[in-house]
Amino acid sequence: MAEKAEMKPLGADDLDALFEAARTRTAEPTAALFERVLADAEAEMPAAPPVASPVAPAPRRGLAARLLSAVGGWPAATGLVAAAATGVFIGMAAPSAVETLSGGYVSGTTGYGMEDLMVSYAGLMGSGG
Amino acid sequence: MTMALDALSDVPDEALLIAYGNGDRDAARALTLRMTPRVLGYAARVLGDRAEAEDVAQEAMLRLWRQAPKWRQGEAKVTTWLYRVVANLCTDRLRKGRGQDLDSVPEPEDEAPGAEAGLQEAARAQALEEALQALPDRQRQAVILRHLEGFSNPEIAEVMDIGVEAVESLTARGKRALAASLGGRRAELGYDDG
Repeated sequence: MAEKAEMKPLGADDLDALFEAARTRTAEPTAALFERVLADAEAEMPAAPPVASPVAPAPRRGLAARLLSAVGGWPAATGLVAAAATGVFIGMAAPSAVETLSGGYVSGTTGYGMEDLMVSYAGLMGSGG
Repeated sequence: MTMALDALSDVPDEALLIAYGNGDRDAARALTLRMTPRVLGYAARVLGDRAEAEDVAQEAMLRLWRQAPKWRQGEAKVTTWLYRVVANLCTDRLRKGRGQDLDSVPEPEDEAPGAEAGLQEAARAQALEEALQALPDRQRQAVILRHLEGFSNPEIAEVMDIGVEAVESLTARGKRALAASLGGRRAELGYDDG
């Protein structure tokens, strides 16, 4: 009977107490093991990346380059130059077609005066009377 | 150096591993001091053999060093990864050479530990370790991870590469077997018969 009682399984609390006791007992590494592990770590350690050299500053851009960049680069600059050259050509050559359109207004000597372009009071009065 | 290691005590495992991968020697020392006791303790409990456990611990740490440059951040916990390596190494060793488990289990240091609480605690721990060695390998690993290493069931599932339900089954069967085998040593362990 006593033998039967002894063979009864351990209770959950008793088993927990055993776990608790075993948790406090762990195999501590020896200094030699630490040294072996550390030696492996050193042997396997990837090379440290080279010390970062200071980043070379971007070359300073000249005024012309910055202006060019401001207007949109070479393609845009080419367009601007072409437009400007066309304007100068028109101004210098004064083609007759342009003269026909602008001469009467701009010359000022033989064409219309400013008053010619405005509605006259006389006309207004006449039509109103 | 001590100051540097103290300063690293709060640094997460993964950050240390990445620092090591970038050639940081302090990180290597901090990881060595932090992880070696854990892997050695786990291996010693699973294998029941100090010398073999030291070999496994060194091998597992070596694999960690080699993994460092390839470590993918956030994919796994370093401890889980490392315990998984230890579990596999232990399983390999157990498969290769364990024919005489019970013979290799060390005898209790003192048959009559006496009334001192410290001695009784030591006797209880010893008795549990012996009973653990008698369990099937997978049950032993699951019980050790759950009740001695403090892992959660999902973590154990990851370490052992099985499902959570399988973990629950292994730990439950392992505990039942422990309770049965230790029941016969009730008096020796200072438990009442009742």
